[in-house]
Amino acid sequence: MVSVNIEKLKAIVGEQNILSDPADLYIYGSDSSVHQAMPHAVARPQNTEQVQAIMRYANSEKIPVIPRGSASVMCGQVVPVYGGIILDMRDMNRILEINPEDGYCRVEPGVVDDDLNRALKPYGVFYPPTPASSVVATIGGEIANNASGTRSVKYGAARDAVLAVKVVMANGDCFSLGANTRVAASGYPLEKLLIGSEGTLAIIVEATLRFVPIPKLRCMGIAKFNLLSDAGHAISEIMSSGCQPSMLELIDRIAIVAANKAEKLGLPEVDAILLFEADGMVKEVVDPEVQKFQSICEKHNGFGFEYSYEEKERARIWAGRSKLFPSLSKYDERLASTSLADDMAVPFSKMAETADKIHEVADRHGLVMTAYGHCGAGCMHTKILMDTDDESQWEAAKAAVAEIYDFVQSVGGTTSAEHGIGLSKAAAFKKEKAETLELMRAIKKAFDPNNILNPGKLMDGPDDWVSETQLRYQTSK
Amino acid sequence: MTNLEKLEKWKSALNKCIRCGYCYEHCQIYKSTRWDSDSPRGKLILLYGLLSGQVQPTPYVAEKLFECFHCNRCQKACSSGVPIQDVYNDARAFLQEAGYDVPGTTSLTDQDACALCLACVRSCKHEARHYANDRIEVDRLKCQSCGNCLDVCPAIGITIEQGFGTNPEELKRAVTDFFGNPANTGAKAVVFSCGWGNYPGLQTARYYKLDENPEYKVLMTICAGRVTSKTVLDTLDAGAWGVLICCCPEDDCEHGGNARVKARVKILTESLKNIGIDPNRVKVVEVPPKEAGKFTAETKSFMEEIKSLGPLMARSAR
Repeated sequence: MVSVNIEKLKAIVGEQNILSDPADLYIYGSDSSVHQAMPHAVARPQNTEQVQAIMRYANSEKIPVIPRGSASVMCGQVVPVYGGIILDMRDMNRILEINPEDGYCRVEPGVVDDDLNRALKPYGVFYPPTPASSVVATIGGEIANNASGTRSVKYGAARDAVLAVKVVMANGDCFSLGANTRVAASGYPLEKLLIGSEGTLAIIVEATLRFVPIPKLRCMGIAKFNLLSDAGHAISEIMSSGCQPSMLELIDRIAIVAANKAEKLGLPEVDAILLFEADGMVKEVVDPEVQKFQSICEKHNGFGFEYSYEEKERARIWAGRSKLFPSLSKYDERLASTSLADDMAVPFSKMAETADKIHEVADRHGLVMTAYGHCGAGCMHTKILMDTDDESQWEAAKAAVAEIYDFVQSVGGTTSAEHGIGLSKAAAFKKEKAETLELMRAIKKAFDPNNILNPGKLMDGPDDWVSETQLRYQTSK
Repeated sequence: MTNLEKLEKWKSALNKCIRCGYCYEHCQIYKSTRWDSDSPRGKLILLYGLLSGQVQPTPYVAEKLFECFHCNRCQKACSSGVPIQDVYNDARAFLQEAGYDVPGTTSLTDQDACALCLACVRSCKHEARHYANDRIEVDRLKCQSCGNCLDVCPAIGITIEQGFGTNPEELKRAVTDFFGNPANTGAKAVVFSCGWGNYPGLQTARYYKLDENPEYKVLMTICAGRVTSKTVLDTLDAGAWGVLICCCPEDDCEHGGNARVKARVKILTESLKNIGIDPNRVKVVEVPPKEAGKFTAETKSFMEEIKSLGPLMARSAR
């Protein structure tokens, strides 16, 4: 039975940085996923010493601790399934150093992605993993979930950008992992273990990130397809042709309709749209990339090709994709957009087949599902649009999610491309990683012997996310 | 047994909220406290809790719901299409009917100070104030926290307790911090920007981080009409070379602040002139919402003007 001494927490971080009213705890019990649970307290540490003091107390009393940024995660990573203390890290939000000479910056975990990129811009550089949620996503959360985004096809994910991290361990010890250099050869890369660990190993209190030069030119193109499978074949050929896009995005018909409804964009409601961006320092490098994209799309029956180097035009072309995730709520008034089967990665050659499979599974289960994503990185996103009041739809969703991940694994794909595992993808993750689950648990035990750091996630997540977790929705049918 | 019917009809809308958190950046109250519970997303979650019985109505819950500046930026920015203000309004009505009469950001009248002159009743654009039972009563469902009434009360008997950074004393503190910080050697001016008009647009213009200029500080005020003469004089006294106030165009101003601030600054600048201070150091300009370009141009031109005038007083004299 978890019991938290609020007075003790107040003594550490100050009364103004503690919440314990049931209403606040309810709010802090959810993220962008379908799950909900109640923590016992929310603490907002101001510095590393306070994080250490909280961890020493929590470890001595075996109280779960869940580090949290802006909670824009979609799979329940910060839902406190066993209660405990939510550590709201957003007040540790200082940019500690920008070092253009050595090509890195040091930041605290609560820095918001967009704020970091605004600060880097005067130096002519940017931090590239930037997910679509960069307006709220914190660097700590991005590292914990190995986030990536539209430009990761060329510049990589958080894992590629993190050089070092400073962490507070479960027992309150503080360690620096990794090095502020581009290469570090020997020993176990412990800093990399933290990336994608979803808060289960240690609390990140500082990160050293590499950045890259902002290209002088960016050119964005768009091509439309009457068949999703044609778009899929085009993706595969673009990526195997030596083309180096800085973005390659797929949007299917359902997503197009939703974006049109939400943003009144007037996009053609075709089966699929591919968005392509190439960047570089000179036009002689960028132009051939765009031409190659056009010719490959045309070969696969793409049409309506247009492109632009102008910022305003690029923004117009990009508009449909930029707000797609929230727009899906407007697809049908009766249906809510749920983050289920929300992401996966498959080999390029399987993109079209995967998109078709998603639609086939959705139709069979009486659900509406969309397919979109950073297809240049093999990343596919879906959402399940469903009547959340209807209990039978949840059973259908559970079956659909399981079938989709079985298919993904059968074609050599993986459960998460960039959104993480949390609660709702744990079953598929455990199936995929069956051989190494015990090894992962051993690593977790070495970091956190009392299992207090975000327990019940990843390899310890539920097998049945519908019956074993509390859903944020209440059914009445 | 409390009547939840007013909330029941919004269940589907509350399900539509995907809890992405993109509304955070639009909310002054969240930005002031940095707690999720004060964000639009947090409040929608709270309402879902009330509806599902997982959260019980309490004065604390009601206070959260009545804390809002009605700028509607969250609703306009929500591409999930949740009609946030409509949901809030019904939730507030439900809480009020259930007996939770809390002020939040609405205006309060000190009945002992009130002379029943009815100036506040006449000035309220939202018909939120009325005379009944020998006193001035406030309809909290109609009050939009614009502060019109504070401005016209001759007895200085009206307050908005929760300012979230926008009350005169909070603005004064922000000004003092800006000019008092030894690192801000180039600090020259303060720009007051309307929280219903131009400020939200500036906040979200991702490539214009206008409030981070070392020469001037942009401060949000709920309605430019709430920038008092005292606030302007305090700002000059803190070390500002000049004060720029950006209000909404007259036709767009729903709270009467445009006319009030213009009239006030006219009187103030005449007084300044009489004591030998150039009236151009205090200026009101109309900046329509979303026109970050006009804001930039007006600010640039104002900064050039006050630089040509030089400092109002030597730094050591303050």
